[in-house]
Amino acid sequence: MNNMKRSIRRIFWLLALCFFLLLGYLGKLVLVERQGVSTNAYNSRLRYVDNSLRRGDIIDIDGEILATSVLQDDGTYMRKYPRARMAAHITGYSSVGKTGVEAAENFEVMTLHNEFFQRIMGIATKKELVGNSVVVTVDMDIQSIAGDLLGNAKGAVVVMEPSTGRILALQAYPDFDPNQVAAHWDQLKDHEDSPLVNRGTQGVYPPGSTFKLVTALSIMENMKDWQTRTYECTGEAAFQDKVIHCYKNKAHGTVDMKQALTVSCNCYFAQMAKEIGPGKLREVMARVGMESPAKFELAYSQSKIGLEASATESELVETAIGQGRTAVTPLYMAMFVSAIANEGIMMQPYIVDHIQYSNGKVGKQTVPKKLTEVCSTQESAILRDMMVSVVDNGTGTAAAISGVSVAGKTGTAENATGNDHSWFIGYAPAEDPKVAVAVVIENSRAYGSATPVAGKVIREALAQLESK
Amino acid sequence: MFDLLIMLSRYLFVFYIGFFLWQGIVYIAYEQGGFLGSPYRAVSIQRRLIIFMHITAFLILAYNRETMIYDWKTVLFGAAGCVFLLVAIHFLDRFYYEGCPLIWTGMLFLMDLSLIMLQRLAPSLAYKQLMWMTIGLAGMLMLPFFFRLIPRFEVFEWAYIIICYGLLLCTKIFGVERNGSTNWLRVGVFTFQPSELVKFLYIFYLASVFRKRIEWKEFITTGVLSAGVVALLVLQKDLGGALIFFMTYMVMLYIATSNEFLFLLGMGAASFAATLAYKIFSHVRVRVAAWQNPWADIDRGGYQIVNSLFAITTWGLLGSGLTKGMPKSIPVVESDFIFAAICEEFGTLFGAGVICIFIMLLYRGIRIALDSRRRYYSILAVGVTTMLCFQAFIIIGGVIKLIPLTGVTLPFVSYGGTSVLVSLMMMGLLQWVCVYCEQHGIDEDAPPIMGIEGGQDYE
Repeated sequence: MNNMKRSIRRIFWLLALCFFLLLGYLGKLVLVERQGVSTNAYNSRLRYVDNSLRRGDIIDIDGEILATSVLQDDGTYMRKYPRARMAAHITGYSSVGKTGVEAAENFEVMTLHNEFFQRIMGIATKKELVGNSVVVTVDMDIQSIAGDLLGNAKGAVVVMEPSTGRILALQAYPDFDPNQVAAHWDQLKDHEDSPLVNRGTQGVYPPGSTFKLVTALSIMENMKDWQTRTYECTGEAAFQDKVIHCYKNKAHGTVDMKQALTVSCNCYFAQMAKEIGPGKLREVMARVGMESPAKFELAYSQSKIGLEASATESELVETAIGQGRTAVTPLYMAMFVSAIANEGIMMQPYIVDHIQYSNGKVGKQTVPKKLTEVCSTQESAILRDMMVSVVDNGTGTAAAISGVSVAGKTGTAENATGNDHSWFIGYAPAEDPKVAVAVVIENSRAYGSATPVAGKVIREALAQLESK
Repeated sequence: MFDLLIMLSRYLFVFYIGFFLWQGIVYIAYEQGGFLGSPYRAVSIQRRLIIFMHITAFLILAYNRETMIYDWKTVLFGAAGCVFLLVAIHFLDRFYYEGCPLIWTGMLFLMDLSLIMLQRLAPSLAYKQLMWMTIGLAGMLMLPFFFRLIPRFEVFEWAYIIICYGLLLCTKIFGVERNGSTNWLRVGVFTFQPSELVKFLYIFYLASVFRKRIEWKEFITTGVLSAGVVALLVLQKDLGGALIFFMTYMVMLYIATSNEFLFLLGMGAASFAATLAYKIFSHVRVRVAAWQNPWADIDRGGYQIVNSLFAITTWGLLGSGLTKGMPKSIPVVESDFIFAAICEEFGTLFGAGVICIFIMLLYRGIRIALDSRRRYYSILAVGVTTMLCFQAFIIIGGVIKLIPLTGVTLPFVSYGGTSVLVSLMMMGLLQWVCVYCEQHGIDEDAPPIMGIEGGQDYE
């Protein structure tokens, strides 16, 4: 009988454990995963409108209003976006469903701080109730400059603070006017250029030669004599069933890694990658976080590693120079170059700085978070040295700024459309990085290279940061 | 203005369930020798809280926002529900003298929640649900008389299992399909789920066999017969039912033999069987895929679960407020997914409270089993408690995506005539065991009552 009682007690604890699991999981769902789950575009509840309170504002880091609500005569609220297109891909829209910060912080802007108290006070004083405001890390001065420089070239500009992961600007074109989304919904949603897609976070492009930084990292780690190794570039090299050409078939002569990176020599990196092998290269790609999902407030696409450990030689050499099936987002490239600037430490990107309650108090300040370590301090210093050389006397001279040393890497990504995409990733000042950028311009033959755009963005961003 | 009241009512509902649970703790503390307040007062507060919750909810539900007047039909139904609750409170004490009051209040709280949610989601179902509850309650009140007429009902073990198989085979042959499972049987105008009735009989059967000393013969016959029941349910695509029967069998076998090895062996065999089922049946694979990544197939396979997650996460801890959410976007929300609707409109805190009520029922059920002086009744009580609580676990777990979804009802809360009827009967049985042991327990030289948390060891 006593045995049985002991067994019964054990069964109690087993079942109680099941219920505690339920409680724990429910808590995790609503406290941790809430934002990610509930902001999904399929959630019909996002269309819910509550007219008993004014939706909170979206504000940039200097206090400029990006989205606000205005009371209309019929007692309902109308959402206004004073900066319209300029911040469209950040604010998103709140009309036909929600996107951007409007979606990510939907429940924050619809929440009253100290709700119970405010509601009672609202009845007593008949004062308008206002939801919490969201302050984003974006600086509209830099954002506007980036927007003007991008003009009507399809592509994206991401500006990030390397040491924290704060997004300072996030521009993408084509864009849309969030004030007009409901009115023009039918054109917008089926438009061939998909203006509603934020190319900065959702656009996936082959990385082109910017990928050589990753290849360079894996060479440093897997080839003992890399510093003394040279390669004789004749402008083209044959591998298995693939011939790799340097840009315009230019023969670069005898190059070491620094020179190869400076002039962006395809043959050098293809040959070295062949010697390292696909397994080692893939290892480094995985370590630099190319495929690990980062958490970000806005909708983003996952970058993809298109290289298996068992890949053929042709696949390997193509990947090593940034072609092949590997594809990245501008946001990821900004994270990667920021990591190099930040002594190898990749930070979690974020765009919501804090929440501002209607009584003016600050809450839920985002704390910068380390994501992963992509390389050692020494390796990042070597890369910096090479990247400075790219801008000073290599392919990236168009990004040079007088008085400031810029580190960067250019890229040209061939793709299925036949029109090359132009890339530039970099940071400045090289010795004490304040800003990092990733710029991509689709169809660069028509719209020009990303390099001068990136240079100007860096210059203006530094000037803005200086003046504040 | 009315919206404002709904907003404020959210705090009220969280208070109701929080205070309700606190009173349960007050009662248990007294029983364990501590003192947080009078246990009698605690139970009477709990009863009042149920009535208050009922009135608050129906005041919200009955108000028509367009015409700004109260809908008399809903008011009437609310009043009928209130009468039902009062009658239940009154008679349960009379018919089950000295039954556990926490089980009654917990059960009534859940039933009241069911009436409120169904009135909110589909009023016509709420009427039917109330009718079934009334029938179930009447049947439950008759149960003690019935048991008194047939004093030694443990001797009919073979009859129980034969009826079980009869019912299941009938379903297999004459069954109609609903919601993807062919476990419904039509008799005249009624459709019902025989697997629910089988639950009741099956527990009787197992308890009757296990009351004796268990030799290989008993072990093998019960094992084979249980495997047969589980297999029949799997064939009817009633995976949840199969899981519940299996778990109940394992638990009852374990407490009857106190053999951990057998229990682990059974679990191992079950994992093997589950893997096999995954390989063989496509509908199992569909369920598992929808659980692993519902986002990959939002439009079809993952639709239910994704919408359920939206409902739970969208409004946060306090919910949208009664009538303000969109629970109807979830298919079959009134039966399997009612927990998601509760989380949506009453908030996740309230949902957690509902889980705590099940923990309370579990605790009380296990206490009854521990306090009972006869092996047969102990096994019976554990069987009933396990079945009910495990069922609650797998459906809530399915709805919040902790485990793959298996379509079973949430006891007392989900819409379903047979489910309510059988759940009530099982509670009646549990309480009857409690009453019986109170009355007949003194004459045996059993050790004193043991607490679950108590560090006593009687080895």
